[in-house]
Amino acid sequence: MDGDGNGYMVEASGLVKRYGKFTAVDGLDLRVKKGEIYGLLGPNGAGKTTTIKILCGLLRLSGGEAHINGRQLPDHRIAAEIGYMPQETALYLGLTVHQNLAFFGEIFKLSKREIEEREKTLLEFINLPEWRDELVGNLSGGMKHRVSLACALIHQPPLLLLDEPTVGVDPELRVSFWDYFNGIKREGRTIVITTHYMDEAGRCDRIGFMHNGRLVAEGEPGELLQMTGTENLEDAFMSFTARPEVEVER
Amino acid sequence: MRKPHFLTVTKRVFRDLKNDKRSLALIVIAPIFIMFVFGLAFGGGVKNVKVLVVNQDQGGAPVGAGSISLSEKIISNLDTEVLKLEYVDDRDAALAMVENGDAYAAIIFPPDFTSEAVSSMNDLPGGSTATIEFQLDKSNINVANAITKAVNDALLATIDQVGVQMPVSVDTVAVFGADVKFMDFFVPGIMAFAVYMITTLLTLVTFVGERTSGTLQRMLATTLNERDIVLGYAATFSLIGMGQAMLLLLVGTLVFDITVVGNVFLAFLVIALLAVVSQALGILLSSTAKREAQAIQVLPFVVLPAFLLSGIFWPIEAIPAWLRPLSYLVPPTYAVDASRAIMLKGYGIGKIWIDIVALLAMAAIFLTLAVLSLSTRKD
Repeated sequence: MDGDGNGYMVEASGLVKRYGKFTAVDGLDLRVKKGEIYGLLGPNGAGKTTTIKILCGLLRLSGGEAHINGRQLPDHRIAAEIGYMPQETALYLGLTVHQNLAFFGEIFKLSKREIEEREKTLLEFINLPEWRDELVGNLSGGMKHRVSLACALIHQPPLLLLDEPTVGVDPELRVSFWDYFNGIKREGRTIVITTHYMDEAGRCDRIGFMHNGRLVAEGEPGELLQMTGTENLEDAFMSFTARPEVEVER
Repeated sequence: MRKPHFLTVTKRVFRDLKNDKRSLALIVIAPIFIMFVFGLAFGGGVKNVKVLVVNQDQGGAPVGAGSISLSEKIISNLDTEVLKLEYVDDRDAALAMVENGDAYAAIIFPPDFTSEAVSSMNDLPGGSTATIEFQLDKSNINVANAITKAVNDALLATIDQVGVQMPVSVDTVAVFGADVKFMDFFVPGIMAFAVYMITTLLTLVTFVGERTSGTLQRMLATTLNERDIVLGYAATFSLIGMGQAMLLLLVGTLVFDITVVGNVFLAFLVIALLAVVSQALGILLSSTAKREAQAIQVLPFVVLPAFLLSGIFWPIEAIPAWLRPLSYLVPPTYAVDASRAIMLKGYGIGKIWIDIVALLAMAAIFLTLAVLSLSTRKD
């Protein structure tokens, strides 16, 4: 498949991921354009996190294929192009905020000066500049989350895979997060984000509703509302997920 | 040349340890603590054991000499550092004390001890061998052996003093270690044991943390691969292991006055190699634990075999033959053997290469398995 140059950052077809008998992702097709903010929505267990991990190259596929920026997985070269923020904190609690950021910067061969410059901007953005030299273990849950996001951003990758980046972040800061995400988008970089917050989903360029490991609907937020004739995304989502079950009951 | 990628991990692990006072204390203080505890407890040998002496000997007169008492001579030759002698008149009272555990042994000289001995030495008719009655509590082997040795030594010394020639004699020459003290022998062993135990424990716990906190997956989602991570840890812990070995040697020299005849840097290299094996083992074992608490459960299986089978306290030859193959599966065995040969006998690499090859092979195997154990997380 010719992925590069066709404008897609993520191109996945028929993705399947099984854990024993359990199928976490069940034939997922996903296309994310370059420079797009794509939101994956769905309840717990819908397969959002598994999808993100597949795109990071962390999981071996049970079926289907995925291309990132034109390269077919698995290909370790995609690692340099991805900024991954896992759902769990995934930081070194015994290191300071600075040391965590520096570590992830050093992995991507950033110079000391580059790290310091970017760190300054990032700490402003996550609103923790005065916590630079504090141990991450001493920060609150929300603060850790923000540091974790900064760690995913430090090497300025063209694709960001963010698994629930705004959990535990207060509404005001969440707004500034989205301003930042839009800035990234304006630079032509791509973001795939999973979230529970429907108000947030409305800020994405496109949304995919996930349910039982499948994509049940996809489109711009406005389109989805129109399609379902609903007032908000929550109801729109409900109307999609309810459908197959109704069919089953019949 | 570009800096190897794994050094990023090495640097981070060092930073982590530097920030963590507890781990730092474990690395620095624990080996010294282990050396002191074992060194002081084992190093002194058996001392001040209460032994009763019942001397009923009435003496005797060898031909052409005045009256002497052989029993007194023997008693005076007993090593009073090992034995704390207490004189009792009555044989039955002495036996009762041994039976009650008030003393470890009773040495009883019968009334005709000297005269029997004298007639026996002079081949007089009717003479029989003079016998010392030696009532010994053998329930504590170490103490019993020490007492027996003290009594035998005293007998030999006395025989020598009274001018009786033994028909055969043994001339012992120390090929190595003429002045070896217990600590000289012990420090190389404890170096290997402490480095093995602390390295395995520390990587095990740290790595369970990497797995559970999600940092391992996060690293694997970057340009770091499994090999970089394992090598990064290996580099860290080989350096730490060497540092610990130096520290132990320093304390051993300053406090316990140990003597080292060989090239200590060769010994440090052996210990560093052991640390690489140990950290790989720690990473490997971490895959069996889902939580940090579960990591503790594998500890007895890490510590005890090494403690008992690797030749730190007693030679592998003292381990039952059927169990001995297990000794050769325990990594510290080779490091103990090699560092002892280097430090006590002054052996060079030409004579310990088998140990080095064994450690290198173990390192290769465990490092590979450790890398594979991380890869399988990508299922």
